[in-house]
Amino acid sequence: MLASKVVGKVPRNLREKIRKFLAKQPHLPYVGPFSLWIVLFVIAPLGVILYFSFLTTGAYGGEIFPIFTLEHYLRLWRGAYGIILLRTLLFAFGTNIVCLLIGYPMAYCIARRGGRWKATLLFLVIIPSWTSWLIRLYALRTIAGFAGIINSTLLSLGLISSPLGILFNPYAVMFGLVYAFLPFMVLPIYASLVGLDPSLLEASVDLGATPFRRFLTVTLPLTKGGIFAGTILVFIPALGSWLVPLLLGGAKVMMAGNLVHLQYMTVGNIPMGSSIAVVLVAVVLLIMYLSIKLGGEDALERIL
Amino acid sequence: MKMWNVTDKILVALTALIYIILWAPTMFLVLFSFNKDELGIRWEGFSLEWYPEIFNNVAVRDAVERSLIIAIITVVVATIVGTLTAYGLYKYKFRGRRTLRTSVLLPITMPYVVIGGSLLIFFTRVAHIPLGYLTILIAHISFSIPLAVFVVLGRMARIDWTLEEASTDLGADKLTTWRKITIPLLLPAIIASAVLIFPWSFNDFVITFFVAGVGTTTLPLYVFSLLRFGETAVINAIGTIFIALPVIGILLMNFFQKREVV
Repeated sequence: MLASKVVGKVPRNLREKIRKFLAKQPHLPYVGPFSLWIVLFVIAPLGVILYFSFLTTGAYGGEIFPIFTLEHYLRLWRGAYGIILLRTLLFAFGTNIVCLLIGYPMAYCIARRGGRWKATLLFLVIIPSWTSWLIRLYALRTIAGFAGIINSTLLSLGLISSPLGILFNPYAVMFGLVYAFLPFMVLPIYASLVGLDPSLLEASVDLGATPFRRFLTVTLPLTKGGIFAGTILVFIPALGSWLVPLLLGGAKVMMAGNLVHLQYMTVGNIPMGSSIAVVLVAVVLLIMYLSIKLGGEDALERIL
Repeated sequence: MKMWNVTDKILVALTALIYIILWAPTMFLVLFSFNKDELGIRWEGFSLEWYPEIFNNVAVRDAVERSLIIAIITVVVATIVGTLTAYGLYKYKFRGRRTLRTSVLLPITMPYVVIGGSLLIFFTRVAHIPLGYLTILIAHISFSIPLAVFVVLGRMARIDWTLEEASTDLGADKLTTWRKITIPLLLPAIIASAVLIFPWSFNDFVITFFVAGVGTTTLPLYVFSLLRFGETAVINAIGTIFIALPVIGILLMNFFQKREVV
């Protein structure tokens, strides 16, 4: 008797409470699920690796002791780890600059000379970025490999006597990174070029500016937003890339992402892998923070 | 139009060259999927033999089935949660709104390796969830919700919301309003986000690589395992399908967005 009363009462009370609570917080049913999701499956896992990155490992890296240490972070800057981290930063910067140097003229060309093909040309840039990376990088590898079409063509033309080692060097990785991320640079720059007010360009011509000067003093400053957005969209994924160096660089040209993978899945030194992942996250967050600071609040939203 | 000068000509030539470089590997792959040669390196003549082979291959069929199941569930969950989130962010002012808006960016700005790696450690060391469908789905949905949020938010800014007000004024409850007004208004964005998320989830290799378990080899994971054995011809055929899928997706999305304007 008593039990059934209690059971009957509690849900009613609870329902009443929930209703009152929701009346005060009408947004909760909408944003609640995602908030919960992101805390559970994005922020908590990041917290977990942050925690692990400070733990002590046994002699072979497999065992983990709950003793605080900065050892892994200190090791990161020395020897092979240091070289790989430095290379990661260099490659990310390099990819960014090359993408900008190629992407800007390309976007300019589509925006100015695309005519009625503009949409199609833009599509042709986007589509590769929506197909499988694995497949595209694999295709690249097949072409450039020892027995691939580049080597066999050069051989049959008699230009080389033995196959060139095109892959598994820093240039191959850089090429792969540019190949993978170029679309992300072209799109925002194209958007900012199209949004340019043509009367400003006409004014500069009327005032006697040469085309080059017009570009430097009018077009370039007005498309800063696009360059900025493209830089974020290229730099961040280039920094964390794993697949490109894995497939095109092999063991010789590793990047930070490969270290994380190696430590987590092959070596099994979770604290070491975590410290590398944490450094990557820290750099990404720093870039995001700086871009909000420099580009205004909606800078990041404009990107997407 | 003005006359094309030399700089323009150089610019156009360079752009054309970049397009060729951008598309050459893909074109090569599609072409060589019709190649007789099993190693797929030299052209030995036209053949369609690899396509029936992949459809008759049980391992491929299983992998496709797994990838489809994962992609479909990801699309459904991510689109529902993403639409609700976008609605809440757009319609209500509340404490922590800006924080939430910024944190929507978190899953898509984090490097894939970090998302995959941190989830792997989280699942195996903390949550003790066995690696498999559930872990792959959690990872895919985490990444996909932000895409849905941004697509739907973009549409919301361009909607005439008076219809919704009218519905409420006329006494319709919240649920009826959603069913009859809000969802139909948002439908183009909901479809667009589904079309966007599906190929992403279907194609994802990096994140899945970290959180997949034994017996949940998705198609990209299967292709990766083939890479080691150098089964080029089969990979070329699968790759062609991989490339065709998003192209169809983008064309579909374009179609729906054109209708949206009308």
